[in-house]
Amino acid sequence: MNYKSDRDLGLVLCTHCNSVFKEEQKVCTKCKSKLKQRDKYSLAKTLSFTIVAIIFLFPANILTMMEVTTLGVVESSTILDGIVYFFETESYLIALVIFVASILVPIFKLVILIYLLYTTKYNKTYLAKNATKYYRIIKFIGKWSMIDIFVVALMIVMVQFGNLSNIIAGPAAIAFTIVVVSTMLATESFDTRLLWDKD
Amino acid sequence: MSKSLKKLTICKDCGLVLNKPHLDYDHQFHCPRCNALIYKYGQDYLTILLFVFTSIILFIPAVTLPLMSLEIMDLKQSTTLVETLLIFFKNGYTAISILITFIGIVVPLFMLILILIILIPLRLGKNAKYVSKPLKLYEHLLEWQMGEIYMISIVIAIIKLQKMATLDIGLGFYFFLAFLIMMSLTMALFNPYDVWNDDEL
Repeated sequence: MNYKSDRDLGLVLCTHCNSVFKEEQKVCTKCKSKLKQRDKYSLAKTLSFTIVAIIFLFPANILTMMEVTTLGVVESSTILDGIVYFFETESYLIALVIFVASILVPIFKLVILIYLLYTTKYNKTYLAKNATKYYRIIKFIGKWSMIDIFVVALMIVMVQFGNLSNIIAGPAAIAFTIVVVSTMLATESFDTRLLWDKD
Repeated sequence: MSKSLKKLTICKDCGLVLNKPHLDYDHQFHCPRCNALIYKYGQDYLTILLFVFTSIILFIPAVTLPLMSLEIMDLKQSTTLVETLLIFFKNGYTAISILITFIGIVVPLFMLILILIILIPLRLGKNAKYVSKPLKLYEHLLEWQMGEIYMISIVIAIIKLQKMATLDIGLGFYFFLAFLIMMSLTMALFNPYDVWNDDEL
């Protein structure tokens, strides 16, 4: 079947109110949004956010996530320690949820982002259908990695007993937040239409 | 020319030019090339408004009643959501916690109010152009609201804490859970594109 894209026909879509205009139009007449057929910098944005995420992935997993002080004894734990703790105390479901959300999902997202960048850069249009499917998956699971950060923050707030028992967040919490937020920004700035354009 | 353009639509995911589907209440329409959802009709505005009001009413006891009380060696501490907000400002080191309260609580509530700001003028017969700005903001926030994740995290934090201390779950917790569930339902039912589609019906 012969498909025609907006680029071939010289049309542009207002992504806010779904009206269609000719290419020359710069502002949507219906809702006054700016019209853009493609974002020129989409690839560059996605690439830079992906690189930031990859850099911060290492401190996020190596440094301490949380320091628990009980009666003067400081116990610091990384993300992996937290998972092991749940596993040892036989909360297998929660161990699995945290493992998937904070270790598997960020790595999976980065692999998909690199795959998307590769297919777009080298014009593998025959992979477009597959790539769009993966894009939708990472868009859907994107924010679920925040679970671990939320858990640490909630525990900080709930446990405030001074010297008796206290919890503070470690540097890994910040690194991990940067990883999650930059992968989300990378996903959002990626334009899937670029996958389907052949040139 | 502009007449014929009105009959077209373009797939947001792959840029395919399509004939605009006929709008009705019980059919979805997908892109034939990339299977993106092009069009789906949401609930009518009155139902959504009811859901929004229910959520906002549930929010009041959720923040004022104690979320839980914690006991370590005769020291007791009970927390309401408002108190947690205050603790953030007392201790300087919790920049991340402020961010999280914003994403988890303030943004969902703000989005519910945005839905009110969008739908009430529409019910009163204004046209879609009038609410274009709040609608745009709502669509942006939709990507970043994390109410449901917050809910799961609370459950995990409680299970984790139960091993450290004696913990009683307060009434506020159940209200907060109910608020988050209602809120997710509201956001699932409200389809922002209906606002524009209605203009054409």
